Amino acid sequence: MKDNKIDKSDPPENGRTRRSFLKGLSIAAAAGSAGLVTGGCTGEVASEEMGLKWEEYFKKNYRLMSQKEKDETVERLVKLAKIRVGVDIQMSNQAPINNVLYGYAFNISRCKGYMDCVEACVQENNLDRKSKTQYIRLFEMEPGKLDPSTGDGKYHHEVPVEDKFYMGVQCFHCENAPCIKACPTKATWREPDGIVVVDYDWCIGCRYCLAACPYWGRRFNWGEPQVPAEEINLKQHYLGNRMRMKGVMEKCTFCVQRTRQGKLPACANACPTGSRIFGNLLDPDSEIRFVLKTKKVFRFKEELGTDPKFWYFMD
Amino acid sequence: MKKLSCYSGSFWLGLGATLLTAQLAMASGQSLLDKIKGATEPVDNTKIESAYTLTAKTVQAEETYQGGTFRVLARKDKITRYRCSVCHTDKKVLVKNGALYTHSDIAINHGKGQNKLECIQCHDEKNRDVLSDAAGTKIDFDHSYKLCGQCHFRQKRDWLGGAHGKRETYWAGERVIRNCTSCHNPHSPAFKTKMPETYSLPLDD
Repeated sequence: MKDNKIDKSDPPENGRTRRSFLKGLSIAAAAGSAGLVTGGCTGEVASEEMGLKWEEYFKKNYRLMSQKEKDETVERLVKLAKIRVGVDIQMSNQAPINNVLYGYAFNISRCKGYMDCVEACVQENNLDRKSKTQYIRLFEMEPGKLDPSTGDGKYHHEVPVEDKFYMGVQCFHCENAPCIKACPTKATWREPDGIVVVDYDWCIGCRYCLAACPYWGRRFNWGEPQVPAEEINLKQHYLGNRMRMKGVMEKCTFCVQRTRQGKLPACANACPTGSRIFGNLLDPDSEIRFVLKTKKVFRFKEELGTDPKFWYFMD
Repeated sequence: MKKLSCYSGSFWLGLGATLLTAQLAMASGQSLLDKIKGATEPVDNTKIESAYTLTAKTVQAEETYQGGTFRVLARKDKITRYRCSVCHTDKKVLVKNGALYTHSDIAINHGKGQNKLECIQCHDEKNRDVLSDAAGTKIDFDHSYKLCGQCHFRQKRDWLGGAHGKRETYWAGERVIRNCTSCHNPHSPAFKTKMPETYSLPLDD
């Protein structure tokens, strides 16, 4: 538990650090060289992009940033998106809400396998269309089998089918997450509201977390994620659905850009059957607490001690 | 030599036991379920700042849940030909309007076999602008959950608590949930079969 925390007293705030020195030097160099190569009006844009990229390159881990630095990086990323893709995104770095711990419940007797949730997730989170990345997997299951690895996800017929049930799998946001322990750069961590997030700019793409996750909850970008400009969800969060790059890990964030605004995650919102229950585990009156109190619930691979915040239940 | 191995054996055993108990203690102190069980103070969700712009029309529910009062999505503005009493008068009906006026587009597929429902088991016989339950109590279209709950009491219990049905857009703020008839067609309440939106790869792929 303790080794997940980063010591904040470490970096000297006064005077010049190695980092700030390098940053200053590199911006000057980038601006100079860009000006030399291109020159004129396009050169200004190019050097602005170079400058922004350099500053981005030398920024801190998100957890070490002050609020000011968080605002600055978000501002830079918004500018970069405008230059690179030509879209006006709105990016937030909204902090967790106090006294909130997100939890999720999935009703396996109600889900009909329509997969509206999977599609809504792809749209909401700007997932790579080329490699067909999906955070959620949904399986058609034989009665009595509760292990999703025995299910069939490639069914192509009208659903639901008699005597089958449907089970969705995604990141379970474990309280005791193995992926966090595996990360050598501390690029992934659990936020105070329970969401396990990734700082894409600190991920080195080693995929240790992917190997460590017993639930196959993480996705890797083998290539540059492709999303048509007109389909990009412009409402983004630094730790959530902002555009990823080649060679970084990504995963379900419980739609941090939505949930921290009080909204349901896109999957829960899209579900036409009400099989997906989302809410605050610390609120005794919440829907999720009602499910935990009154229903037969179980968690996937509970014996591993990962403490997932995602329960399956039956009516 | 023999004595040494005996000593070292007990040493490792002792170390193992200490580590194990330490780990267990840590686990029980940090357990998620303990944390959840410990949270018994009600949380004021309405204090969570966010842009509440529910475009859907809602009404205050006439029942309460574990957290007090709540709202449901209104229904009357969604019913195409409400108010019913505009047509349901004492006036005579022309034959050419017959198909329209007899609701020939509605097929009742609610209840099985002998128990298939008829119109007036839910709609009030005299006042067509309201519903009425088996006891004859008049029920507004916006509060149809009171009518559905007379048979589907298990579903209603779950719906009140939050295990059936769903909240509208927000998990926070004042609780706004969907009405029974927001999702189910009351004349044919079972969900239709349809093609899935997409497909999933196997877990380990």
